Amino acid sequence: MSWETVIGLEIHVQLSTKSKLFSGGSTEFGAESNTHVDLVDMGLPGVLPVANKEAFYKAIRFGLATGAEINQESSFDRKNYFYPDLPKGYQITQMTKPIVEKGSIKIATDEYERVINITRAHLEEDAGKSIHDLFEGKTGVDLNRAGTPLLEIVSEPEISNAKEAVSYFKAIRQLVTFLDICDGNMAQGSMRCDVNVSVRKSGDKELGTRAELKNINSFKFIEKAINYEIDRQIRVIESGESVVQETRLYDSEKNETRSMRSKEEANDYRYFPCPDLLPVVISDKELKDIKDNLPELPEEKEKRYITEIGLEESEAKIISSSKTMANMFEEASSKTDDAKLVAKWLVGDISALLNKDNIDIDESNLTPENFGKLIERISDNTISGKIAKSVLEEVWESGSDVDEIIESKGLVQIQDESLLEEIAKKVVDSNPDQVASYKAGKDKLFGFFVGQVMKETQGKANPKSINEILKNLLN
Amino acid sequence: MDKKTVTTISYLSRLSIDNEKEKKIVQDLDNIIEFVDQLNDADTSNVEPLTNPLEKTAKTRTDQVTAKNLKKELLEIAPSSNDDYFLVPRVVE
Repeated sequence: MSWETVIGLEIHVQLSTKSKLFSGGSTEFGAESNTHVDLVDMGLPGVLPVANKEAFYKAIRFGLATGAEINQESSFDRKNYFYPDLPKGYQITQMTKPIVEKGSIKIATDEYERVINITRAHLEEDAGKSIHDLFEGKTGVDLNRAGTPLLEIVSEPEISNAKEAVSYFKAIRQLVTFLDICDGNMAQGSMRCDVNVSVRKSGDKELGTRAELKNINSFKFIEKAINYEIDRQIRVIESGESVVQETRLYDSEKNETRSMRSKEEANDYRYFPCPDLLPVVISDKELKDIKDNLPELPEEKEKRYITEIGLEESEAKIISSSKTMANMFEEASSKTDDAKLVAKWLVGDISALLNKDNIDIDESNLTPENFGKLIERISDNTISGKIAKSVLEEVWESGSDVDEIIESKGLVQIQDESLLEEIAKKVVDSNPDQVASYKAGKDKLFGFFVGQVMKETQGKANPKSINEILKNLLN
Repeated sequence: MDKKTVTTISYLSRLSIDNEKEKKIVQDLDNIIEFVDQLNDADTSNVEPLTNPLEKTAKTRTDQVTAKNLKKELLEIAPSSNDDYFLVPRVVE
C-alpha cells in the first residue's frame, strides 16, 4: 500500500519591535525575570491594550513580500484558555480578520523548486514562560515575554514531505530576516513551529485525521519529528486502528512524539471579538510607504550579483542565502574595488571558517571594514593570497586590524625584484640535480622551485614575479 | 443546552456550579439563547459583519518602551511569589 503525506505548518515569528504588541513593555531577550512587565501584560483590572503600529507595518512587509492580500482593516479576537503564563486567561489574536491573507513563497529542496501557498498571517501576543523544574512542587512564571508581538504564518496543507517542510521553514526564515522583521534566532525562540501531519492512501481525495506536533524549534527536529509521525500514523492505520486528532509533543532525546493529553480537553477556545480593541486601519499612504521601502529580497539580490557584479551563480546563491552574508558582502565590497575577490573569499576561506566554528558571520570577529581592507591588500599586491590566509586566520582569532597584523608580523610582500632574483638564484644553485631533471624535460619540477623560493621568503614573494624570474633562470 | 454542555463550559471557564442549581442554570441559559436566537431571523445577507459596536477605528501606539521595572511591586501583590517569579501550583506537560 502506498501512502501520501499532507503537512501544514504554523510558524510563530517573533516580530523585532522594541515594545510589546499592546503595551510599552520592552521585548528585550534574556533580561532579568519579570522586569519587562507592564500592567497590561499582567492583565490587571482596568487596563486597556493599545496596539503597536510597528507590528502591523512589519506584518504588512511580510504580506507584500509574499504577494498576499493586505487587510487594511483588521481586528482582534480573544482565544480563551487557562495556563499560568497567560495572565488574562485569553490570548489576543486575529481570528476573523487577519492582517495578511493568501500569499505564497517559493521553496527549494535539493532536487526541485515549488511554491507553497500561505493561507494567512496574523498578529497575536506571545505568552510568558513557565519554569517547571526549579521549585519543589511549584511552577515559576516569568512574564517578560508575555505580550511580545508574534506573526503566526499558516501554510496551506499542501507540503508533501519532511524535506519540503524544512525547506519551507528555511525560506520563511530567510525572508523574515531579509525583511528585518525578525532576527530569526531559533535558539532564543524567535521562530517556533507547530506542524500538522496527516497521511492518506495515495489517490484519496479526503484528508486523513491530523496530529499537531507542538513547538519544534530546529530544522533537524522538524524533519525527524515529521518522519517519526508519518511512520507512526501509517502503523496505526495498518494495524486497523484510527489516528486520533490530538496535540503531540516531540521528544528529541527519544526521537518520538507523545500525546499531550492535558491539552485535549481545552481544545475549545471559544473565540470572540475582543471588546477592548477597535479595528486597526492602515491608510493607503501608509501602505504605499511600506511598499516603497521594501528591502531588496534574496532572489533580487542573487540576480543583481550575477548581472551587475558578475559573480558566478553558485557564489551569488550562497551569498544571498542569508542576510548576514549579503550584508558582509555588500559592506566589504564598498571598501574595495574588487567585489569578485570579496565574493571568492567569502564563499571559500571564510565559509570554511564559519562551518568549522559553526557560527554565523555576524558572530565572528571579522568586520566588513577589516575584510574589505584584507581584499585591498591582496589587490594592491601588499600581501600574497597565501599570506592573506594567515592574516585572515589571525583576524578570525583576535579581530585585530589587518594592516597592524601585516606590519607587526612583517608580512609585506617582497617587491624588491633584485632580492627575489638573489633568492631564486640561491635556490637554483643549491639544487643542481633538480635543475638537470627539469632541463631534461621534467616540467613538473617548476613547481618545486616556486615552492622553495616561497619557503625562503616565508610566503612573502609575489608568485607572479617568482614565476618570471625562475623562467628566466631555468630556460 | 443540556447538562453535559453546561458541565463542559463551566470546566473550561473554571467556574463551579452547584448541583442543586444546575437544572435551573440549564433552563436559564436555554431561555437566554432562545431570546438571542431571534436575531437569526433578521436578513443580513447584504450587511458587512460588525466587529465592534463603536463605529470607530483604533488609536495606536508608536513603538516605544514606556514601561518601568515594576518587578518588586508586581511580585508583592501576587498570591504567591519568590524573589524572581510568580509561583503557581506545579503544572507539568
